[in-house]
Amino acid sequence: MKTLRVKFAVPAIAAVMMLTACGESGGSEAASEASSEVASVQLPNGMTVKEQIEARQGQLEKVGDAFKAISDQLKAGSPDIAIIQEAAAAVPDATQGMADWWPEGSGPESGIDTDALPAIWENMPDFQEKVGNMQEAAANLNIAAQGGDIAAVGEAFKTTGGTCKACHDDYRLDD
Amino acid sequence: MTDHKAQIIIWDWTIRLFHWLIVLLVPLMWWTGEEGMMDWHRRLGLTLFALVLFRLIWGIIGSWTARFVPMIKRLGAVPGYVRDLFAGRHSPSFGHSPIGSLSVFALLAALSIQVGTGLFSVDVDGLESGPLAILVSFKTGRDIADIHELNFDILVILIALHIAAIAVYQFVLKANLVRPMVTGRRSDVRASSDVSVRAIPLLFSISLTAICLYAVINVG
Repeated sequence: MKTLRVKFAVPAIAAVMMLTACGESGGSEAASEASSEVASVQLPNGMTVKEQIEARQGQLEKVGDAFKAISDQLKAGSPDIAIIQEAAAAVPDATQGMADWWPEGSGPESGIDTDALPAIWENMPDFQEKVGNMQEAAANLNIAAQGGDIAAVGEAFKTTGGTCKACHDDYRLDD
Repeated sequence: MTDHKAQIIIWDWTIRLFHWLIVLLVPLMWWTGEEGMMDWHRRLGLTLFALVLFRLIWGIIGSWTARFVPMIKRLGAVPGYVRDLFAGRHSPSFGHSPIGSLSVFALLAALSIQVGTGLFSVDVDGLESGPLAILVSFKTGRDIADIHELNFDILVILIALHIAAIAVYQFVLKANLVRPMVTGRRSDVRASSDVSVRAIPLLFSISLTAICLYAVINVG
């Protein structure tokens, strides 16, 4: 998919990009119309689709905050281990119960704005395994951070980042 | 041929070097961005930052055809110039034509926005970020990255328009604009000002650019 896009984009100039842009905006308009109905549909867990999508987006944003905080420190000349420890501890907290965040019906077909791809529900066992990998890596990252060794944090951070990417490559809309 | 006509310099060497480095770097930036080669994307991006900043300073204190103020003054002549072009009348300009000035402003604005947003951009995982992203939150960095992505499309459209315009000049108006951008020289115009690179403005521009580049690198 990725190489296809690259090959395609090399000769692609203005016209193609404009067409693509039009196609996208048309799609999201149609989606927002449908969303008003589906938004209030209740999932088996008691949340509405909209609540579920917003809840997981909020949690993942916390992970993004924490990762950026760690990344900022690792890039700095003298990393502040206290900031790293606080951020690393926040990731396992924020991703607790993550496996249940994508119940059936909370995908893009709901019409609500989400970058979750239908592939998630087509490959649920693989998706769940990747979620598990991420949680495990995040737990190790937290252990490394509390240990205070910056080099170990760097390694664990890379591993954890790899588990984010592994999932996003297949299951998140490429932006 | 026009052997006897004097070839006068219309583009100084800094302008030409800037132009062709941009031609080289923009596709490389697209490639490294698309492939996720973020170390190179950052390095080349900082190079681009320095180039664009130098060009902006050079637009204020550089050689006459590089300067923005005369170009702004020419914008008023755009409608008349375009009317003449459609009527098949083309009078070569010393430096940027009125519509060429508009094009330069648009391209430089898009480049500046692209480089500026790149400095603060954060990727979706919070793993990769621009050299100044430490100054903003994850959410802000993501919003800026969205602008970075959108503005790239605008930049590509402007570049496509730019290339199309050069082709129209070449094949319809029989004016080769590529060669002067390589050699700096053109024979079919009259010089109305000296376009040589003066040492003091050059040193000043390079120094100021270097200081800003140093500051950006050391903030992160």
